[in-house]
Amino acid sequence: MSGIEHPLQIVVGAGGVGKTTLAAAMALKHARAGERTMVMTFDPSLRLKDALGISEAEASEEVEVPVEGEGSLLVSLLDARRTFDRLVRNYAPNEEARERILSNRFYDHLSGALAGVLEYMASERLFEVSRSGRFDRIILDTPPAQQAIDFLKAPERITGFLDSGGVRIALKPWFDAKGRLRGTAKLGFLGRNVEAFFDHMIGLDLLRDMAEFFQAFAPLFDGFKQRAFEVQRLLRAPDTLFSMVSAPGPHRVADTLHFARRLEEAGHRLGPVIVNRVHPLPEGPVKATGGTREGVALLQWLAQREAEGIEALEDLLAGHHPVIRIPLLPEEPTNLDSLASLGEMISESFR
Amino acid sequence: MIAGRLEKLQLIVVTGKGGVGKSSVTAMLGRLLSGMRRKTLLIEVDPRENLHHLFDIPPSGGDVVEVDPFLKIQHLEPRSIIDDLVREKLKVGFLVKRVLASPVHQHFTAGAPGIKEAAVFGRALRWLEGHHPRGIETPECIILDAPATGHGVSWLLAAQLVSDVVKSGPIGEMAADVAAFLGDEARSGTVVVGMAEEMPVEETRELIEAMKTRMQRRPEFVVLNALYPPVPDEGTDSEADDFLHDLWIRRRQINESERARLAAVWEGPLLELPLLPMDPGPALVGRLGVELSRWLSRQASGRGGRG
Ligand SMILES: Nc1ncnc2c1ncn2[C@@H]1O[C@H](COP(=O)(O)OP(=O)(O)O)[C@@H](O)[C@H]1O
Ligand SMILES: [Mg+2]
Repeated sequence: MSGIEHPLQIVVGAGGVGKTTLAAAMALKHARAGERTMVMTFDPSLRLKDALGISEAEASEEVEVPVEGEGSLLVSLLDARRTFDRLVRNYAPNEEARERILSNRFYDHLSGALAGVLEYMASERLFEVSRSGRFDRIILDTPPAQQAIDFLKAPERITGFLDSGGVRIALKPWFDAKGRLRGTAKLGFLGRNVEAFFDHMIGLDLLRDMAEFFQAFAPLFDGFKQRAFEVQRLLRAPDTLFSMVSAPGPHRVADTLHFARRLEEAGHRLGPVIVNRVHPLPEGPVKATGGTREGVALLQWLAQREAEGIEALEDLLAGHHPVIRIPLLPEEPTNLDSLASLGEMISESFR
Repeated sequence: MIAGRLEKLQLIVVTGKGGVGKSSVTAMLGRLLSGMRRKTLLIEVDPRENLHHLFDIPPSGGDVVEVDPFLKIQHLEPRSIIDDLVREKLKVGFLVKRVLASPVHQHFTAGAPGIKEAAVFGRALRWLEGHHPRGIETPECIILDAPATGHGVSWLLAAQLVSDVVKSGPIGEMAADVAAFLGDEARSGTVVVGMAEEMPVEETRELIEAMKTRMQRRPEFVVLNALYPPVPDEGTDSEADDFLHDLWIRRRQINESERARLAAVWEGPLLELPLLPMDPGPALVGRLGVELSRWLSRQASGRGGRG
């Protein structure tokens, strides 16, 4: 890995704070510095795709962005459903198993709704790519979660789920010849009550469908579990560094801090905290008169509040993590150069 | 016309991505309805509790807490709603324990897609019909501050999904009732909140489209929140701080072009709320409320809602 520190960088943060743009900016900067770089991303905005010159690219494709010099930049667009489909295709032991899963009426909803699947898929892809040895640097933009922590919990959640009684129960035939719930039969009176309850609540038909789904999925579980384990290891490896992106404003401090703690408690390495889209503080006294007073005063007020928030954050992080301020720019990056200069901005303050 | 709807609707779902001002809009609508003397309950479904900050009262911690005589708020964990449903349907204590601890419940009842969402609405519906714990007044209107996860429309569609799959039993019945309720224009409506920036506008456009094609419904109105103030016509002020001034002009231009992009797919009422130099709290909610009232009277006098 040619002495590169933290070849694996994971960008986390709540939805809408600018993770995707910053991940792309960092990747471009590394690529221009001569590294073979991959950025894996979710849901890039049209503007960002334009800026990268990949507006036509389909999800789950890898697209090359032209970079001058030694380095290279590949953008991989992630999509939960397609990743899931591919996983099924790769792991299903045979055609029949594959078909059973893909045609199960829960599959459609589960691939989106099962807790943590999207996040898990991201780390799963990360593992694949990092093992390939094709890159000096991989930057992973994480899915738009409401809680930044969701991404991290995903592998554990999946392994926990696979180990739980729920799946073991799902894997044995649920229903006996008479169509009764097996797990409850031996419980006698109590079991009949519990079974009657489930039937009453959600209908045994639904349970049957879900059990079917998990049974169809069973042959995949071993591979799945093994990978989840490796992914967890990768996320805690000394080569892996997390960067956290946050919106400015004093009201975000508590959330940001909470997440930083959770990350470290979980044994991950948190690098910088990037506060994005900060209203810049004017240098020196501001002159504004007449009609322009309102807008300029508003910007000043916002700048002041945000500066207070960032100071509080710095105090609370007590120097353990650098806090990087990225200003709200008059123009969102619309081409490679402006994106690269954003990347420069991050790495300069990182030093 | 909109004011008329707000006087009648029993459920208003406030949707949009996180951080765009959903909770602020929920609070603002709550105050408006309580001002109309409608007994209103604001429900916040979110892992973290926020709404109380906006009224400067202690957190609800799951209880119904009073903001004013006509306005109450409650914070709910989605998970606890399903457990409550089990408790409600299964009155025998040891069976409740068994079911809640059972893997079937943990991974299937609670994990089945859509059930959580349907249960939140189901609960709202029951409360509106008077089935709620004693000591609580029956609300006339519930405003739901929907969580920001996934697409806003998945919340609205969940009940339909569940009722398609679960045809019988209390969950199936509940889901069917909820789906009918959410489809009933006379009783329920949606307010979509976004900001006039690229990604939020994109999401708002998708949400409106999905509501149209998958529910045959449209929002009551759309809110564009946190707009930079318009730049005065008198031209640029050479005295003003150049950098801040330019930043403001540019951000306002982005707001305006994104608003136009939204207007291309949304001809309905559009409420624009200014970005205000105020911390979250009652004063902010009050100021937003003033904007809302002005807009409503402009709407009523037929002078449109675009500015
Ligand atoms: N129009 C506005 N002017 C100023 N600040 C606002 C405005 N709307 C929302 N805010 C602030 O923005 C932040 C996010 O708003 P909130 O209502 O909590 O969003 P959501 O519920 O969508 O996550 C809060 O700090 C809130 O005080
Ligand atoms: Mg909120």
